[in-house]
Amino acid sequence: MDRSLFRITRSGWAGLALAAFAIVILPSISSRFWLSVFTSAGCFTIAIAGVAFMYARLGMVSLTQVGLMGVGGWVALRLNYAFDFPFEVNMALAALTTMVFGWILALPALRMRGLYLALVTLMAAGGLEIIFATFQFPNGGDGFWGVQTGSGEAFRRPWIAQSPEAYLRYVIACAVLGFLLIELHRRLQPGRAWALIRRSEAAAMAAGVNVTLYKTWAFGIAGLLGGGAGALLAGSLGLLDDGTFRASESVLVFALAVVGGARYWQGAVVAALLYKVLPPLLNNWGVDADLAYIIFGAGLLHAVITAPDGIAGQIMGAVKGLSRRKERADA
Amino acid sequence: MRYGKTLGVATALVTLTMAGQAMAEASCGMNTGEAATGDPIIVGGIYGDAAPGDWSSSTDSAAAYFACVNANGGINGRPIDYRVENDQWNPESAAQAAALLVNDTPTVAMVGNGSFIEMAVNANTYEEAGIMVMASACAISECFETPNIVSTNQGPLPSNLGAAQYAVEELGATHTACIGLNIPNNGIWSCGAVNDFMESRGLQGTSVLINPGAPDVNSALLEAMASGADTILINQPAGIALAILSAAEEQDLRDQFIWIAPTPLYDLSVPEAVGDYWDGHVYVNAELAPLNLEGPDAQNWVAVLDEYGNDDDPRDTFGQAGYLSARFFVDAMLEMDPAQLDDRAAVSDAIRGISGYTSDLMCGPYYVGDADFHMPNHAGYMVQITGGSFEIVRECYEYDSPYFEPHRALEAELGLN
Repeated sequence: MDRSLFRITRSGWAGLALAAFAIVILPSISSRFWLSVFTSAGCFTIAIAGVAFMYARLGMVSLTQVGLMGVGGWVALRLNYAFDFPFEVNMALAALTTMVFGWILALPALRMRGLYLALVTLMAAGGLEIIFATFQFPNGGDGFWGVQTGSGEAFRRPWIAQSPEAYLRYVIACAVLGFLLIELHRRLQPGRAWALIRRSEAAAMAAGVNVTLYKTWAFGIAGLLGGGAGALLAGSLGLLDDGTFRASESVLVFALAVVGGARYWQGAVVAALLYKVLPPLLNNWGVDADLAYIIFGAGLLHAVITAPDGIAGQIMGAVKGLSRRKERADA
Repeated sequence: MRYGKTLGVATALVTLTMAGQAMAEASCGMNTGEAATGDPIIVGGIYGDAAPGDWSSSTDSAAAYFACVNANGGINGRPIDYRVENDQWNPESAAQAAALLVNDTPTVAMVGNGSFIEMAVNANTYEEAGIMVMASACAISECFETPNIVSTNQGPLPSNLGAAQYAVEELGATHTACIGLNIPNNGIWSCGAVNDFMESRGLQGTSVLINPGAPDVNSALLEAMASGADTILINQPAGIALAILSAAEEQDLRDQFIWIAPTPLYDLSVPEAVGDYWDGHVYVNAELAPLNLEGPDAQNWVAVLDEYGNDDDPRDTFGQAGYLSARFFVDAMLEMDPAQLDDRAAVSDAIRGISGYTSDLMCGPYYVGDADFHMPNHAGYMVQITGGSFEIVRECYEYDSPYFEPHRALEAELGLN
């Protein structure tokens, strides 16, 4: 496999083309309603990319990704009301804090594997849900928790992204950076270590790979992406509510990452579109948006039974098949 | 014999009157009896329907009233196109609902909104868009403390204060435990106001907060008992309130406390739901006229729902509030220059200009005014669950709290008191 750092694959070109379309065209043709929907989808794309990458590269099931988004959102809100930092600083600090949180969560969890690891992360998500419900999200109040009755001043968005259109572009640009961060890791030393760990932890250890370090690293990256996504979501809405970060949402997000296809960047996009765009689309068509959950369930069954690489894997398989046919026809 | 004849005639007259009331035709807007056929005027509404509660009765009643108005000449011949969205108790959905109804659609106003979430998310959107929201089932502080939202219902703060005031003055309460939702702008805000009220009377108040996502009513009851309170104020949506009463019944706590609640428990299905155990032991504040009163608007609301609503549209206080918001909105629109009915700014000015509207459903006048806060409704009734129904135990009374001082000053400015 060519691991040249700056080589752009066909899939990469497709991603950049999609990002260019999403940044240049999508905001211009979307109504305010769809801008809001796509912005949410963009935030969750980043978070889903984190959880999908952990599953695809290491086979680790994390059921706490939406909880990590909540941690990032909480930190971003608290910093916004406590200091006059620009949005980018708040977001970076929120992402780094969540990364550290991810590490702390990972250290005891890494003794577990498979189902037990999933259960530990699910319990962490449950704990975060209770903390968010009990202490709520900062809204401009005093003290550590920063909660007051009534709303505080509006949340400060990036100075280059004040309008909904510009904010959607900003979120998409952040999502691209998130994917590039994952790809960068995949092509460097951590990617090789993760590939070895995924095949066999014993073999990886025998080869001198620090399994604990690289697994913790992966949790940290997932936390970084989740925290950044939470900060972006806070910037989109101006406030956060504990109802958004329930443990059940983390389970759903992981399931959708599998349905979308955890091995491919397209899978995270498909999962976020299913999660955030499908329900309002059904609603617009006059169909009960709860039907989306039935579709998610059917999609998960389909992925588990016949399409382990998810929808993105099927799309990539179809594209490869067409390419081969074309090559044969040309020959 | 003559006496018997007179009695018979009187009985017949009363029966005919009652039958007339029961069969009363709905009266709406211009009341022409002819359907409006002009270009529609678009009006929006947002409600919250998801766990832990359904807050759609206000938009249901508003929709029924607008349907009635459309069948009776509309607004100078133009029908109202009423579009509603569900915020699903979710901030993202709430923001998307407002983006759709306020930013993407030329709505002239929002009417009948009922939610725990959307006003906090969308208050700035409404202000930036210059649109007025005539809400009806408000439960959070932004509904009453922002410039572009005004509600016909009182919200938890006044309704709780009214219940606590009654308990202190009539039932001898000395220490209330307010079981509220752990939402800063709802439970913490409204229970805090009750605690302040109790302290202002030299008494004691305690807040007990529960998670709306996973309400543990037994823990809440235990915490309330441990506080040493003699009065339990159930500051909850009806579903959770019933669960608390059920848990208290299992522990046979009825006679150890005075039980009071704000308006959400004022629903005609509640007396039957709580059963005989609670008969005569639960006192509920009603933000609007109790449902057994038969003033003109009270009757008209029922007639409108019967004729233009759905059978399952709730007949509760928030339904009354939705009807009232819609009625006041239509009255204000009918007073406007017909050429300006599509102008959001002109409609917003007309709504801000509302002053001194009255209804038998409200204890005081309804007004809006140009202010950063709006709470026109701060007087109500107290009712008691008894005999499988509700009985009025205190007629219209003003709530006694320093919180209302700026509101009373505004009313004085508008010449309303």
